[in-house]
Amino acid sequence: MLLFILRRLVVMIPVTILISVIGFIIIQAPPGDFVSSYIAGLEAQGDIIEPELIDSLRARYGLGEPIYVQYFKWVSSFVEGDLGYSMIYREPVVDIIAQRLPSSFTISLLSLILVFAIGIPIGILSATKQYSLADYSFTVVGFLGVATPNFLLALVGLWLLFKWTGNVAIGLYSPEMQNAPFGLAKFLDLVGHIWLPALIVGTAGTAELIRTMRANLLDELPKQYVTVARARGVKPTKLLYKYPLRIAINPVISTVGWLLPVLVEGEILVSLVLGLPTIAPVLLDSLMQQDMFLATSIIMILGILTLVGTLLSDILLAIVDPRIRGAV
Amino acid sequence: MTEIQPGGTAIDELAPSTEGMNGSLLSVRDLQTHFFSREGVVKAVDGVSFDIKPGEILGIAGESGCGKSVTSQSILRILPKNGKIVGGEILFQNEDQIIDLATEDADGRVLRDIRGKEIAMIFQEPMSAFSPVHTIGDQIIETIRIHQEVSKEEAHDQAVEMLRRVGMPNPARNIDEYTFNLSGGMRQRAMVALSLSCRPKLLIADEPTTAVDVTIQAQMLELLRDIQADLGMAIIMITHDLGVIAELTDRVMIMYLGKEVEHGTVEDVFHRPQHPYTRGLLASIPKMEPGRVEIEPIEGTVPNPYAMPTGCKFHTRCPDFIAGVCEKHDPPLTEVAKGHEVSCFLYGGRERLK
Repeated sequence: MLLFILRRLVVMIPVTILISVIGFIIIQAPPGDFVSSYIAGLEAQGDIIEPELIDSLRARYGLGEPIYVQYFKWVSSFVEGDLGYSMIYREPVVDIIAQRLPSSFTISLLSLILVFAIGIPIGILSATKQYSLADYSFTVVGFLGVATPNFLLALVGLWLLFKWTGNVAIGLYSPEMQNAPFGLAKFLDLVGHIWLPALIVGTAGTAELIRTMRANLLDELPKQYVTVARARGVKPTKLLYKYPLRIAINPVISTVGWLLPVLVEGEILVSLVLGLPTIAPVLLDSLMQQDMFLATSIIMILGILTLVGTLLSDILLAIVDPRIRGAV
Repeated sequence: MTEIQPGGTAIDELAPSTEGMNGSLLSVRDLQTHFFSREGVVKAVDGVSFDIKPGEILGIAGESGCGKSVTSQSILRILPKNGKIVGGEILFQNEDQIIDLATEDADGRVLRDIRGKEIAMIFQEPMSAFSPVHTIGDQIIETIRIHQEVSKEEAHDQAVEMLRRVGMPNPARNIDEYTFNLSGGMRQRAMVALSLSCRPKLLIADEPTTAVDVTIQAQMLELLRDIQADLGMAIIMITHDLGVIAELTDRVMIMYLGKEVEHGTVEDVFHRPQHPYTRGLLASIPKMEPGRVEIEPIEGTVPNPYAMPTGCKFHTRCPDFIAGVCEKHDPPLTEVAKGHEVSCFLYGGRERLK
């Protein structure tokens, strides 16, 4: 087991390098760079830019050099913890990420919990009562959940909440709490705000999990070991959770790891609509304005999170499934 | 071996049926199990009756789809969701009580207490009899602790003992193994140990030799015979393999499309087959005699289960078909010799038609 984790950690190194190369190339791929889009912006406002300023900007960020030199410059400072400087926010990238990542993480984690808490029981119900009214209803709701864009749900949620309570559910905190020091009052305020985005971000995931859980369990239920357990006198409830459920849930565990980046991606539009201080809108901005240090850093961090998540999933899976344990 | 109470007066008051059990352990009477689906009703078991005495080995044979497995699933009430017992009785002599398994709640206390403890079952595929993510010991110990009030350690010891008894090479270690670590023969033994962990009075073996190769098949039969001699339980052996029946069982019932066609001792049925279907089955076995290489298959195919023939269900394929009788009437069971019954108009029953 320890060897397995060690081996996986070693394998993660080349994968991380590959992610950094691909991430860097993709960000660099569009013609022009930050400086040119920055100048275009200034020129659009009627400012006149002196060529000396342009050259000094380019030299400062090493933009004139060949791409591999730029890459190595970036990578070596990244490894040292210097993520560079954001040109649109005019702040060090580290600071922006430090501000944004915790709320992203909180929303994602909460979403994940909601996805499981809602998706798994409904999936089980759908499978055990296949073709019942409840099954059909949840199937319809589930497909709607997958098909409805998150931003639309966010708008509808916003509107409904305003209609019912008169509150505008924008941001993670009430305006008066925005700058308050973190304490119980602020935490309660956060709880009051965060559930809506968490629920909305998780809708598609929940709907998918219902389908997956239902399908997996339906695969397991008619298997012979279930019949055998029944023929041994095992109680119906135990017959469900000890055997087929235990096996049906394995594929779900194996996907936990890459659910995180999916959730972050799903956050973009919801965050824009609900005005949330998460990392997703920053990623969008940085990509649109070619803010390369910021964009590559966020992509790197999401990539590493995915790798770590996958590793955690695999370890979890090895713990619950002896067949995996036997193979590693 | 268990002491069986004869069907005395005291029992009759408790019994769902007015008749006694005549010393039988299990008495299936006119069992009808049907499957309901959108396409229609399949009468998988349509009026089957048999008795089995303590310690006896009964074979139930027939082609796929004749209802033999459904019969066994009906006894333990582990039918798929769309299967229902629509008629008949399944009387089981439990201690001093006769229980009609057919009318009990399928997942209620009474049946759960009987399953695995009084009546146990072996299934076709040893690989899938155990949950792949639990050790074999986990499941054997679970069974023991469902039915007996013993500590984990005591149950563990019993499980090891049972594994030893079925011939596992290293029971103390095997108990903590998963099925995917075991060879085919070992899985088979583990499965038998699982079924026998509470020393049932009746073991139902549903095609236990079908999915395994011949050497394991031979080991399996030997194991069952040994264990039966050792523990003295009754066995219902369900198979399509007449060789297995001949080798293991005392009596045999031949089924065709949910009906019993012939019933008797192995000696009677194999050497003096009466029903044209039984004769056909026996003729279709390849023989090792010199000069006879051709096998004679039964003409025709098994009818569509949704469109069963009227009258005798075998009349569409029967070489001895009596026009005007067989397609119109259901042949009754006729005793051709003591304990040898056939349901065929060739042996009488026509006089009872009017």
